[in-house]
Amino acid sequence: MTRAAMLVIALGLALGACSSAHHVTRPDGIDVSSYPDEIQDAYDVFAFRCSRCHSLARPLNAQVTDPEHWDDYVARMRRQPGSGINRHNARQVLKFLYYYTQQRTGAGGGT
Amino acid sequence: MNRGPFMLLALCGAAILTAVWPAGPARGIERNFAGSAQLDYLYVPTDPTARRFSFDGFTTELSLKLAVDFSQHASANVKVCYGCHGVEAGMAYFDFRVMDELNFRVGRFIPSFGDFPLRHDPANHRTSDKPLAYDMGRMLRLREWGMSVLPAPYVDNGVEINGTHWFGDDVQLDFALYAVAGLKGSVDGADVDFLQSRSGALYYIDNNSQPAVGGRLALTANFGSISSLTLGLSGMHGTYDANRDLLYTIAGADATFRVDRFNLRAEALIRRTEMSLGANPGERFRYGPGDDGAYDPFFLKDAFYVETDFPLLRWLEVVGRFDGMHRLGNVVSSSPLRKESLILRSTLGANVVFERSFRLKLSGELWDFSDFEDAVAVHLGLVGAF
Repeated sequence: MTRAAMLVIALGLALGACSSAHHVTRPDGIDVSSYPDEIQDAYDVFAFRCSRCHSLARPLNAQVTDPEHWDDYVARMRRQPGSGINRHNARQVLKFLYYYTQQRTGAGGGT
Repeated sequence: MNRGPFMLLALCGAAILTAVWPAGPARGIERNFAGSAQLDYLYVPTDPTARRFSFDGFTTELSLKLAVDFSQHASANVKVCYGCHGVEAGMAYFDFRVMDELNFRVGRFIPSFGDFPLRHDPANHRTSDKPLAYDMGRMLRLREWGMSVLPAPYVDNGVEINGTHWFGDDVQLDFALYAVAGLKGSVDGADVDFLQSRSGALYYIDNNSQPAVGGRLALTANFGSISSLTLGLSGMHGTYDANRDLLYTIAGADATFRVDRFNLRAEALIRRTEMSLGANPGERFRYGPGDDGAYDPFFLKDAFYVETDFPLLRWLEVVGRFDGMHRLGNVVSSSPLRKESLILRSTLGANVVFERSFRLKLSGELWDFSDFEDAVAVHLGLVGAF
C-alpha cells in the first residue's frame, strides 16, 4: 500500500511538472490569447494568485462592475493569509480585472 | 485559567475602533454574492452494507455567501451552509482592519488553523471528500474512529486578531490569535463530540464559559510571480466538558508549494485529548493501568496528508493524495479500536471541467485499516460555483 501511494505521488509530480512545462490552460480560467500582451501577463499573475484558495470561477463570475469595488475586493484578498499577493501583484490583478470587466460589460475601465 | 478578559478586551477594542473610525469619502457599500453546490455519491464496492460504517450514497453540500465591503478597512461576511446537519451559519462576522498588520474579526467564523480550512468551500477542493485530518462524516468507519483530528469546517463563535506583514516584495508573514467557544463534549466523555457543536438542541453557545485559545503563524515566500512556498504552524487549546476538566490540545504544521498550475500540499495534525476515567476505569476501559498503577487519561490522534493536483488537459485536472490517521491510547471497552490503530488511504482522482463553473469529480480510494477489513471507495460528485 505504501509503495503504491509513493508511486501515485511520484507519478503526480512527474505529470505535474510536464503539464506545467507545457502550459496547459487552466480549466476554470479563460482564453486570453486575443488580449493585449500586457493583459495576458497580468492574467497569469491573476490566475496564479487567485487560485490559491478558490476556483477562478469565483472572481470571473463576480457581479462586480465598479473599479472601486474591485479595489476593495482585491485589497481584502491581498490581506488573506498566505495569499502571496504583494502590492505589485495586486496592481497586476487589478489591471486584468479592469480589462476583463470592460470586455464583459463595457464598464470598469479603472484607473 | 480564565480567558474571559481577553475576549472582553478584544471586543472592546473592536467597538472603540468602530466608534472612532475616521470617516472616508462617501461611497456606496459594495456587495458580492457567491456560492456553490456539490452533489456527491459515495459507493463502497467492497461491502454491500457500507451504510453500517459510512454515509454512502448521495450527500449534498450547499454554501451561499454574501461579502460586504464597507470600505478598505471594514467588511462583513455571512455564509449559510446546508449539509448533513441541515442549515448552518458557516460565517457571520465583521472585520475591522486598522492596518495590514492588525485586523479584528468578531462573530462566527472559522478560526485560523492549518492550510486546508483556507479553502473551505467544496468547490475549491479537487476531491469530493476531505483529507482524513479534517474529515467530517465522509470517512469510512467514522463512528469507530470518532471522526478526524479537527473536522472541517470548524466554525465557532469568538474573536480573532490577525494580520499580515510583507518583508520586501517576496516574503509574507501571517499571524492569528483567537479566543473561541471551543470544542464540546460530555462531562463523562472519552473524546470530544463534534455533534454537540452542530446541534441546535444544545444551543450554539460555549458549554463551559471558558474560551478555547489558539493561533497560527505562516510564512509565504514568492519565487517570481508564479511560484510560492507557504509554511505554517497552528495550535489550539481548551477544555471540552461543562466542568472545564477535560483538556484538548491540537497542533498542526503545513506546507504548500505552487508552481504555475501545479500544487503540492502537505499537512500534519495531532490532537491530545483527555478522557474522563469515571468511577471505575477498570470497567470503562479495555486496557488496564500502566506500570505505575495509574490509568493514562490521555490519547493521541494524529493525521497527515500529501496531495498534488494539476491540469493535464484543457478540460481535465488530476489529483493524487496519500493520507493517514493514527490513534494511540486507551479505548473504552465497547470500542473496536485497539490501543494503537492506523488508517492509510491512497486516492487517485480526476476533475472534468466541462464549463468554467462546473466540474465532475471522480476519485477512487484504497483504504488500509489496522483493525478492519480493507476497503475500496469511489466518489462521483458534481459541483457548481457561482
